[in-house]
Amino acid sequence: MAQKMLLKMQNVSKTFPGVKALKDINIEIEYGEIHALIGENGAGKSTLIKILSGVYQPDEGAEIYIEGTLQDTITPLDSLKNGIAVIYQDFSLFPNLSVAENIAMALRVEKTSPMVSWKETNRVAKQALGKLGLKIPLSTTLAELSVAKQQLVAIARALVNDAKLIVMDEPTSSLSRSEVESLFSIIRNLKNQGISILFISHKLDELFAISDRFSILRDGKYIGTFSEDELDDDRLISLMVGRKIEYTVFKKRKIDDIIFEAKHLSKEGNFKDISFSLSRGEIVGLTGLVGAGRSELAQAIFGLDPFDSGELFLNGKQIQIDSPEHAVQNGISYIPENRLTEGLILKKPMDENICITILPKISDKRGLIIQEKKNQLVDTWINKMQIRPKIPQMIASKLSGGNQQRVVLSKWLATDPKILIVDEPTNGIDIGAKADIHKLLRNLAENGMGIIVISSELPEVLAIADRVLVMRRGRIAASFHGEDLTQEDIMNQAL
Amino acid sequence: MFSYIKKSKEMGILLILIVISVIISLFNSSFLTIGNLLDVVKSNIVLGMMAMGMLLVLLTGGIDVSVASIVAAVTVIIGRFMVDVSSNIFLIFLVGCLSGSLMGMINGLLIAKLKIPPIVATLGTMSVIFGLMLYLTNGTWITGIPQNFIDFGQITVGTFSIPGSEKTMGIPIQFFFFVFAALLTWFMLKYTVIGRGIYAIGGNKESAERIGMNADKINIFIYTYEGFLIGLAAVVHTSIMRQVDPNAFIGFELQVIAAVVLGGASVLGGYGTVFGTILGVSLFCVINNGLILMHIPVYWQKIVVGIVLISSISFDVIQKRMKEKKNVRVDIDEEASVSSRRSGAAGKADTAKLEQKA
Repeated sequence: MAQKMLLKMQNVSKTFPGVKALKDINIEIEYGEIHALIGENGAGKSTLIKILSGVYQPDEGAEIYIEGTLQDTITPLDSLKNGIAVIYQDFSLFPNLSVAENIAMALRVEKTSPMVSWKETNRVAKQALGKLGLKIPLSTTLAELSVAKQQLVAIARALVNDAKLIVMDEPTSSLSRSEVESLFSIIRNLKNQGISILFISHKLDELFAISDRFSILRDGKYIGTFSEDELDDDRLISLMVGRKIEYTVFKKRKIDDIIFEAKHLSKEGNFKDISFSLSRGEIVGLTGLVGAGRSELAQAIFGLDPFDSGELFLNGKQIQIDSPEHAVQNGISYIPENRLTEGLILKKPMDENICITILPKISDKRGLIIQEKKNQLVDTWINKMQIRPKIPQMIASKLSGGNQQRVVLSKWLATDPKILIVDEPTNGIDIGAKADIHKLLRNLAENGMGIIVISSELPEVLAIADRVLVMRRGRIAASFHGEDLTQEDIMNQAL
Repeated sequence: MFSYIKKSKEMGILLILIVISVIISLFNSSFLTIGNLLDVVKSNIVLGMMAMGMLLVLLTGGIDVSVASIVAAVTVIIGRFMVDVSSNIFLIFLVGCLSGSLMGMINGLLIAKLKIPPIVATLGTMSVIFGLMLYLTNGTWITGIPQNFIDFGQITVGTFSIPGSEKTMGIPIQFFFFVFAALLTWFMLKYTVIGRGIYAIGGNKESAERIGMNADKINIFIYTYEGFLIGLAAVVHTSIMRQVDPNAFIGFELQVIAAVVLGGASVLGGYGTVFGTILGVSLFCVINNGLILMHIPVYWQKIVVGIVLISSISFDVIQKRMKEKKNVRVDIDEEASVSSRRSGAAGKADTAKLEQKA
């Protein structure tokens, strides 16, 4: 090794109960280097950062060298002392305190003196901002600053601790173009001072503009580190994607029987000019990176957080949705993330779980439940969804996972939706259960329901969707018919 | 200090205080007299001292509903102590502060170590302390307070002549205990690492812990310090009343919380100052005193306190929600076109345009 590395990670793995989040990662970071860390959602980037910052401990056998010295264990404080500063997406600042205090706070904690010197606080803050070439009034309360300025304060704070490596998690996600430019010139300035940056972003143009080298993770595995001239967009994307498809791939259908249409939906700071249609019996996959505006769009359509402008049409007639109640009345149901797996009252019997969404429908005028109606309804759903065993009084927690999900689905389907929006329906469940849910959704579609599946998992989208919409930075970047579609095609549009 | 009076909530509170004072004095000319004002001050010293402790608790986003039970318990403890054991004033203060701190510390430990939500923990200690106290005292008053302690309570500083009468009044010694509590709290909040830590935790607890602050330690400190001030306030209270009524403080916690909230402290944590709290306490007393002077029945005070409390808390909560709503969640691509690629291959996309045919 010609040059001593600032950071060297060898054989770093991390196992969570049931999941191997990272497998044998080997990454080296040089002094004064801007190093990009890239991977799909869930590829293991955040886990890796958390190991670096001492929040997680790696599995046995991992070796982490900082400036050539092997680290036994890393606690958050060790990590800071070793000069590793992580700037999280939320910046970890104090909105109620002044700029100067935000910058100097960590230093105060490290010093043993119980007293605060305001002179020292201001001096330290001034010096750190000076290194960045910034002039922000020291006494301004942080909450009054723009997001871009707050981020600069976070960077300044990292410098106070003599950071040698600054990890930036999606630093440009809420900055305007010109703010990104000035951030980049600051990053280059830091690089010239010998400070290394580990830069995480999904924006390829930005990554290529600033990074010296790229390390790629996929499915928790280390794919490799490449220099800038070894890569272009296509190469990078093909390295990132390529998770194996382990599901049954359903035949893609072309359906033209539009029941639902959205035209030019916009919501400030969430999404812009969104238009798409959904046919009877069709499954549309809505994908894109986390933060592209997918869930925000679904919530707006469902009336949880109404959009600013645009129109919705149901069967060709314009509809107005201001609240989830309106949406349900119009036959639109929305199942949020994790709801399929967590939306069960485990201690209650199956029948009560199924009925909970439609109590008014099975009650009389005084609000009392009519047992006969209830039993009838529960039987219908047990048969329709093939829930086993067919015992309505069975306590929900005693059902198998797959049957639990059927109960949850029944509960939402009992409201008789024409359009079903499911957000990440299979997040965090095992493959068998995932395939089960795919089959259920497909069945519903074949019976005439229009379904929008929001998912970050490309293999899943490819397996079940007839048509795929890709969102990118608040817009629909592309619409694909599902036939012959590849993960690369999608990622190409999502990034 | 002037720099933040200018821009912040405190200026508004001061303005309200002045306006209300003017209105009351229009209705009743005896409001703005030295005699009345000195009375108002004297009867609210205990409230003011306890407000300082409550300020710290609110700053971290906590709440303490056990303050009334603690102050009542300490008055009983020192009452018995000075009647049965010793009338040494120094010892009385020592016992009062120690027993207050101890009860506060129990709250702090429950909240920091067992992670019980502050409202639940302090509701529990409130009930236990009130119950124990009634069991031990049977609700009977403690009288026969030693003469030297009564004399101590009657010390005044300076003389003000009361217009239209021969009498003169001075600033009661108890007032200086309030000044001490306020200065101590102000200094602690401004110039100690733990004081700034209290603001940091109230602003963003997770961030505070990420930079190595010990939130548990700070919480234990806060409730103990609060207990200390309450203990001190209990001695001061006894020196004013010259007897101990175990039931004197029932419902008092609401007044303390209301005064601090009126002073601009946010129940959501992070915001609030000693100066604002002083203004809040003053505003609270002036409203109460004004209602009395205007011959408005006492139960209206409770209604006013409740309304004031709910409206100022609603203000905080609504403001916070508006801020969250405004937060930009997605970085929208402002140019509609799919941005240029380093290499082509848009592939099989029918592109979004096709979707917009209608």
